[in-house]
Amino acid sequence: MRRSEGYSLLNRFSHIYIEQKALSYPVTDRILKRFPRSVKVVVQHYKDVFNRTHQDFRRQKDSPKLILAVKQEPFLYQGPEICEDFGNKNFYYASCVLNCLYDCDYCYLQGLYASANIVIFVNIEDFFEDVQKRIEYENLYLCISYDTDLLALEGVVPYASKWIEFAGGKQNFNIELRTRSANYGAVKRFTPAEQVVLAWSLSPNEVARRYEKLAPPLETRLKAAKTAVEDGWKVRLCFEPILKIQNWQEIYSAFLKNVFEIIPADRIFDANIGLFRMNREQFKRISRFRTDTDVFAYSMVCSGEGIMSYAEGERMKDFMHRQLIRYLPGEKIYS
Amino acid sequence: MIYVVTALPWEARPVIERYNLKRDDNCKFFPMFKGSNMCLIVSGIGKMASAIAAAYLLSGGNAGQDAAIVNIGVCGAVKQQYPIGTPVLIHKITDHETGRDYYSDILLEHPFAEGSVETHNQIVRREYIDSGQSRVCTDFVDMEASGFFQAASRFLSPHQIYVIKIIGDYLEVEEYDKNKITGLIARAMDDIHGFLEHVERYCRHDEPVFSDAEQQQLEDIKKRLRLTVTQGHQLAKLAAKYKLRTGKPLPDFSDIIVDEVKVKAEGRKAFEEIRRILAAE
Repeated sequence: MRRSEGYSLLNRFSHIYIEQKALSYPVTDRILKRFPRSVKVVVQHYKDVFNRTHQDFRRQKDSPKLILAVKQEPFLYQGPEICEDFGNKNFYYASCVLNCLYDCDYCYLQGLYASANIVIFVNIEDFFEDVQKRIEYENLYLCISYDTDLLALEGVVPYASKWIEFAGGKQNFNIELRTRSANYGAVKRFTPAEQVVLAWSLSPNEVARRYEKLAPPLETRLKAAKTAVEDGWKVRLCFEPILKIQNWQEIYSAFLKNVFEIIPADRIFDANIGLFRMNREQFKRISRFRTDTDVFAYSMVCSGEGIMSYAEGERMKDFMHRQLIRYLPGEKIYS
Repeated sequence: MIYVVTALPWEARPVIERYNLKRDDNCKFFPMFKGSNMCLIVSGIGKMASAIAAAYLLSGGNAGQDAAIVNIGVCGAVKQQYPIGTPVLIHKITDHETGRDYYSDILLEHPFAEGSVETHNQIVRREYIDSGQSRVCTDFVDMEASGFFQAASRFLSPHQIYVIKIIGDYLEVEEYDKNKITGLIARAMDDIHGFLEHVERYCRHDEPVFSDAEQQQLEDIKKRLRLTVTQGHQLAKLAAKYKLRTGKPLPDFSDIIVDEVKVKAEGRKAFEEIRRILAAE
């Protein structure tokens, strides 16, 4: 229970909505045991709760609930143009969880989904089966922590571990596990796998403190990434979204210096730079109700592909590239 | 503002007394009672009646983000899990006839038991369930909740819509005792009042982007510059972004807007100047 101005919010996951079909899955069982005091509500279909009209995403973030459901095909989706494929062919993503524990002001999920509640698809084995079929005849590069932060949710559902176990030793298969969490400890026990890239989204403290609510501070993310490097994992650093803030040049330069004082640059697998950008429809939708942040208040331009980004985006990207190349060779930088 | 829908006058009475609500004789369609921050309507029995009453309350256009609506009434309990008189906050409503489900967003702490309710067109009696004539998959049954919720959710978000049912019987009642129902609800009023206070504060707590003075300033600009509706929207949007970006109050535009413009071209020119100032980063 969290107290605010004259009312008390229920703890997150005070309620767990469970699809009838999901009741018999071991993952469901495990989650229900993990939250014995939550109110359980059986639902016919997860969309009856998740896709209701007029939901208030901001209010739901005050006390998000869990929804346990069974995913129907398709299990994998083609990676969109807006995302970096890091030179990989057959870039796909899997959404075995929808929504995130964190509450970042700039997050596209608040424009993508009608609800802030977190959906966990309990039939993870079906995702694995689909992957297995595909990699028998083609390469697959799969982002597994796509519309969520799987490592942050590891204490709720251990899907990061399951994916790492599944990917280890497989041919034709690479996964990226992207996170803002410092929860490396949850997967530290595994032997680093060739197929797995652990990717940390990093932002200057000025950005993290102001815009990445509930996410751990930069120092702890860096510490986690450093430990993963030392343990022999392929570690990717994702410098995105680059946000336009006052004195952004100074702040981002100092930030990169700080990052590479802690993490040995020569042991980084690769890195990417990504400006704050978003599909036009999502941007419009979010900026209508996010009157509590300046993220959507800067002048933006829309590309021919319908992507909104800063009017001076190219200049910002060039600046970041020039800064980053001081630490990493050009071939390891994607932008 | 808290809106309350009850089916019956004797369900309404404890609420009217608690909040000292006064009959609004201007409402010709329903018995309606108003207080400083509450409006109660007596809908009559049934989900259609409840839906009409909820829509009537909310469709005036005044029910916004700071509003909440609650259906208060008695229900029948399928199991004898809780004693008669227990107030229950409903987290799932099933419409018996359509099979559709509806869900409130329960974000706030509350003193109630929670459960699910199935709304029927007819009274559900124990013998119907025992004989298999009626199949009920929820904890409680009533005759209003699904209609009430369906109508309310056209206007409000699910965290603004609540159904509070007080257990009136275990489906064995032949005739309803009005005084008993009033008494049961009256005994639950402390809990209901505490909860509604929290709901009201929670629904209220968003700060508007503009102060009253700024809102007035924008209205003034629109009027003096004879802005079109679209230009008015653009002005409000630019002004909001300016405030979010800078964290400062709106600039003083009095040197740009000296007097009411005579021709629209003058207004456009001044508007461009205001636009330039507000968009500067």
